[in-house]
Amino acid sequence: MKVYDGSQAEQATTGQPERKKVGIAEYAVTTDGAALTTSGLGSCIGVALYDRETGAAGLVHVMLPRYDEGEGARPKFADTGVEVLLEEMERVGAHRGSIEAKIAGGSDMLDFSENGSSIGSRNAETVRETLTDYDIPIIGEDIGGDHGRSLRLESTTGDLVVKSASQDSATL
Amino acid sequence: MKVDIQSLGTFNQLAHEGAKQATQSLAQMTGIDAVVDVTKITLLNREDVGEELEGQDFVGVQFDFQGALEGDTVLVFESDSVGPITEALIPGGADGEMAKSGVKEIGNIMMSGFIDGWADYLEATIDHSPPTYIEAEGAEILPEAPQLDEQPQVFVFKSQIEWVGESVNFYIYMLPEYDPLAELMAGHAESETDAIPIDKLSVFNEMTTSGTEKAAQNVEMMTGIPTEAEVTQISFAPIEDVPKQVGNDTYVGTVVEFTGAPSGYLMVLFDEVSAQNVAEALMPTEPEGEGLTEQHKAAIEELGNIMTSGFVDGWANVLQTSVDHTPPRLVHDMGQAIVDPLAAQVGQHQEHSFIIESEMRTDEIEFSSEIHALPNEKELRQALDELEVERADETDADVEQIF
Repeated sequence: MKVYDGSQAEQATTGQPERKKVGIAEYAVTTDGAALTTSGLGSCIGVALYDRETGAAGLVHVMLPRYDEGEGARPKFADTGVEVLLEEMERVGAHRGSIEAKIAGGSDMLDFSENGSSIGSRNAETVRETLTDYDIPIIGEDIGGDHGRSLRLESTTGDLVVKSASQDSATL
Repeated sequence: MKVDIQSLGTFNQLAHEGAKQATQSLAQMTGIDAVVDVTKITLLNREDVGEELEGQDFVGVQFDFQGALEGDTVLVFESDSVGPITEALIPGGADGEMAKSGVKEIGNIMMSGFIDGWADYLEATIDHSPPTYIEAEGAEILPEAPQLDEQPQVFVFKSQIEWVGESVNFYIYMLPEYDPLAELMAGHAESETDAIPIDKLSVFNEMTTSGTEKAAQNVEMMTGIPTEAEVTQISFAPIEDVPKQVGNDTYVGTVVEFTGAPSGYLMVLFDEVSAQNVAEALMPTEPEGEGLTEQHKAAIEELGNIMTSGFVDGWANVLQTSVDHTPPRLVHDMGQAIVDPLAAQVGQHQEHSFIIESEMRTDEIEFSSEIHALPNEKELRQALDELEVERADETDADVEQIF
């Protein structure tokens, strides 16, 4: 059986695209200066990795905190999503020592859980833990709150542009 | 026929593989960079198939296929997209017959990929006819849905493919004949316990219809605007595809968590224009200020509340259980971002989700509203299991009495 591993965004790409769209539970990496975008993050988190030395950039859109607590492909979860993106970054030539991270999303909007912390904050916590485990510094973040976000990672500069429905866009 | 959750998951994967193959074939032949946006399996009334295409002109190609699955399938796109699409094939573009053969060629490339993707996944043979060029308005573009006397509802497999960076979408509809599909689904069923008999699923669809009618009736009572319940359907998709079912425009609406059998989340969403129009219809005086004011939002909150109550009541009547819900929370945000935390909450316990969708419209003012419900799959299955099919007929009669 073929397994859909969420990497369709890169497989479907030929030539020199200007923009790669990353869906939920998907990731993409680029070394050719494409902008990586993802939209409609609520409690989900977008993790952007950028290697200043090689210019490699990657973005993953994770939905739930931990792989071992759910079912589905690795990019769907905060812990394995960060890992799979990091592996893919290294595969295209990035060096772990020069990779930096920016993260956005993890909103607490519409969280109905009466006890325990929200999925948004658990996602954020897991992303942070995993990045720390791999010694990847987080150099910018826009986490929490009660609004949705869309992201655009400019892979020529490593800028992560965060947009929301009600606020002006901000650059991390 | 029984439909088990695993086999629905498998079939969804199948539809996705097909759409992915179609996209790759397109990229290889034309260099068009496209991604599969949405893939879902939907169960709905025959006459509602393709409702979402209303008001647009489409062109495309149609095939029939035979083998492990039988039926008709089309690949269509909006007439306005013919230009950029033929341009990708024939630099300088083309008109008339040339454009037509361009469309046919693109269709052939993609649909051969699509059907091959299915056949590979099933490890079976599916043959297809040569492509026929088609053009029509709205749902007319789609092939006739299979007709079965005892079964007013049909399964439709839908995929949407987006050409990245262009506002061009390709839509694939596949309408399989019932018997071969049932046989294939039975063959892919993994466990009896997961199975939902197909007649129960259609009862569930009728429950949703009665919920929507009740919600529409409440809107009418509150606003005095004649309101009609439109499409209602049940779809099945991987949890990560659920937020994509709602567009990324900004929506205003309410969200509740409902508890009982089953539990889950329910959203009532309005696009911003509809929200403003319908809220103003409810206000005794002209609103102060521009755009969507606090007054508008308060009106929407009230409306969302009565629509939710109507929907949930219609539902509980059929199930003869009680379904409670939390007070509504007002939302005003990007569509996907509204659905995302709810899908995530449901997704902690299940890999796929049923999505109940309905729409209502009025002729009097520009207003449309969508209701989306995400029920807990296990509880839904149990509720359906306990439901006697006759009961739905009784409730049908009740619904008749209401109107």
